Amino acid sequence: MPIPVEALLKKKEHFERGPDDPRSEDFHHELFELEEQGEWIVHRAPEPWVGVTTKYGNIKKIPKAHLWHHKSCGQCGHIPGYSTSIFWVMRKLGYDYNDPRDQTSCTAWNYYASATSNAGAQAAVAMRNFAAAYESGYFPLIHCGTSYGHYKEVREELMKHPELRAQVRDIMGKLGKQMVMPEEIVHYSEWFYAMRHEIAALQTRDMSGIAATVHPACHYYKLVEGDAIYDPDVYRGQRTAIVTGVAEALGAEVRNYSTWFDCCGFGFRHILVQRDFTRSFATLRKIERMKEEADPDVVLTHDTGCVTTLDKSQFAAMAHGKNVGVPVMSEAQFAALAMGAHPYRVCQLHWHSADYRPLLEKMGIDWQAAWAEFQEDLKKLESGERKFSTWDDVG
Amino acid sequence: MSETIAVIGGGPAGLEAARGVAELGGTAVLVEKESFLGGTPIRERYAALTPHFQSAEEAMGVLIDGVTSQPTAEVLLEHEVTACEGEAPDFRLTVTGPGGERVIECGSIIVATGFEHFDPGRETQLYGYYEHPDVLALQDLESMLKDHNVVRPSTGLPPERICFVQCVGSRDRHIGNEYCSKVCCGVASKEAIEVRQQLPGCKVFIFYIDMRMYGYWENQIYWPAQEEHHVQYIKGIITEVLKKGDKLLVRGEDTTMGRPMEVAMDMVILSVGMEPSKGTRAMAGILGIEPNKYGFINAANPPLDTVSTSRRGIFACGASLGPADLEDCASSGGAAAMKALAFLRRKPVKVG
Repeated sequence: MPIPVEALLKKKEHFERGPDDPRSEDFHHELFELEEQGEWIVHRAPEPWVGVTTKYGNIKKIPKAHLWHHKSCGQCGHIPGYSTSIFWVMRKLGYDYNDPRDQTSCTAWNYYASATSNAGAQAAVAMRNFAAAYESGYFPLIHCGTSYGHYKEVREELMKHPELRAQVRDIMGKLGKQMVMPEEIVHYSEWFYAMRHEIAALQTRDMSGIAATVHPACHYYKLVEGDAIYDPDVYRGQRTAIVTGVAEALGAEVRNYSTWFDCCGFGFRHILVQRDFTRSFATLRKIERMKEEADPDVVLTHDTGCVTTLDKSQFAAMAHGKNVGVPVMSEAQFAALAMGAHPYRVCQLHWHSADYRPLLEKMGIDWQAAWAEFQEDLKKLESGERKFSTWDDVG
Repeated sequence: MSETIAVIGGGPAGLEAARGVAELGGTAVLVEKESFLGGTPIRERYAALTPHFQSAEEAMGVLIDGVTSQPTAEVLLEHEVTACEGEAPDFRLTVTGPGGERVIECGSIIVATGFEHFDPGRETQLYGYYEHPDVLALQDLESMLKDHNVVRPSTGLPPERICFVQCVGSRDRHIGNEYCSKVCCGVASKEAIEVRQQLPGCKVFIFYIDMRMYGYWENQIYWPAQEEHHVQYIKGIITEVLKKGDKLLVRGEDTTMGRPMEVAMDMVILSVGMEPSKGTRAMAGILGIEPNKYGFINAANPPLDTVSTSRRGIFACGASLGPADLEDCASSGGAAAMKALAFLRRKPVKVG
């Protein structure tokens, strides 16, 4: 007879999902059935793709290339280095993409803040963007966690409600667009997770001395949760794996903290109408806890709202002498830095509030020299010598 | 026509069914996949049974002896049913064991393949069962209680504060298990009492949606737990269990006070519900009997015929039919034995 406590611990060491375990239904059957019925076109995930495991054990296809970048409103407006890093990494890995000019906002921010819109309008916006991607021949890759979560909800609504499909079909007809649903709705961070070993293979900076805490974005894994990526080797398959998987593949140490499950504080309605709540929550509930319990060098996350909230909320808290002051960035920026990206030309860390310079020093980056280079770029732009920066300029 | 009745599963219901068949003069062949009899209470090392606190080992021993002492009851350990051919009353049941395959010719079959505990790693992951050593399930604590060794697995030291989280994997539409597992409220209260008895200095809390202490359990367990053993019941829903320092931070909502709560615990016990065992799922397929949407065997004619299945001559009992306590299991085991024998011995009625 084994010693019970040891036997209990052994039993709890590893969770493995059995092939017969009950799981959430794979939506693909319904997706293709609706295509057969002529309800829509399913935009197939292009080859080559990487198969990743979702929460309930289904395989999700993450295309490596030929991606249509559905950008994020807040990302482009507040932290442009975020999307630049995504493009930069994709270019370094040699995968082609399309940066479209005809993409619209998903409008979900106002929707989740209970401020605007209705099911028909929301679904029509999603389908318009999917149709635009389909027309381009490129497969949609969603940068924003909210757009991603929202589009998955829209997919479910459209699959379950023929009257909503009829309403949206009518709108699409007026726009001269087809009804198109992608085979998978893919978040950019899923691409980074799927590519993490290829990214690590091109790593030029050592991240082994860096301690990170990870904030998983609510709208990534709490909306239509069965579609989020889980990995038995990351948190024993009990939390979404994506950002942590990338950080660990790059050699960083990911540290735990007790409020990992909490919202960053953004909260949609809160950031619009109760911003003081957002600032307090982000700093007292998230950053201070991380500092107390994990003392990280950097906070990594994978959504626009989370990066801005966790980063920019620290400024006010510092004025009150709170225990804050940790740089916050996306794992895309972190991966780009690991691959040798310029901290200002590519990652544009000067848009971030919390002091990132000690982190750069720990990474072995001479930020003063980098800043001087960036200033030279600005002078060229000011003098008219250069009209804008190109990919060739950023290295 | 064979007068043998095959009983599949050697837990409480199967044992009672096999004993019933033999005591009523029939021949029973009990097929058990494990190397021992007694089912989940023995495999999971239950301490005391709910609600009377008898030793599980002793109580199950009585049931086991009731079968093994019968000359007309044969027990096949380490055997699994792999195929079924024919129709009642001429079934040919293929079983596979250490000695190879064997075909049992039987007139009727009783399925008693039971349940398994809900695995909190599968769906309810925010309780951290696989992440934190000190988060355990009901059956894990049973095993510790049996050894009088209730300790925090992380430190080996006795806990000062333990809480139970009710309805883990039960009454949860989100994961598809809308049903109540019936026994968890009683078992958690029973274990809470045992913890208080073994560790008088340990504070014990039970977080619940509502306590379902049906029948006599109310007076047998629920009130004594509070009045004699000072177990604290808190109405509230736990949302997550997190690690904080060397403690577990239990977060949720105190619905009586109408506010969020965070409490530190040394150990958290998840009151996991019941799901059909792999054997129950397999038997539904092999025997061609209809399961319900959760995978338990469907009783064909409820509420007054609780053991007949969708297939003539095949009966089910115990937790293969759905969540059941030991009293339900023993009762339905006996009922299945009676129905199966009656099915074989029923004389044809002459018409005209």
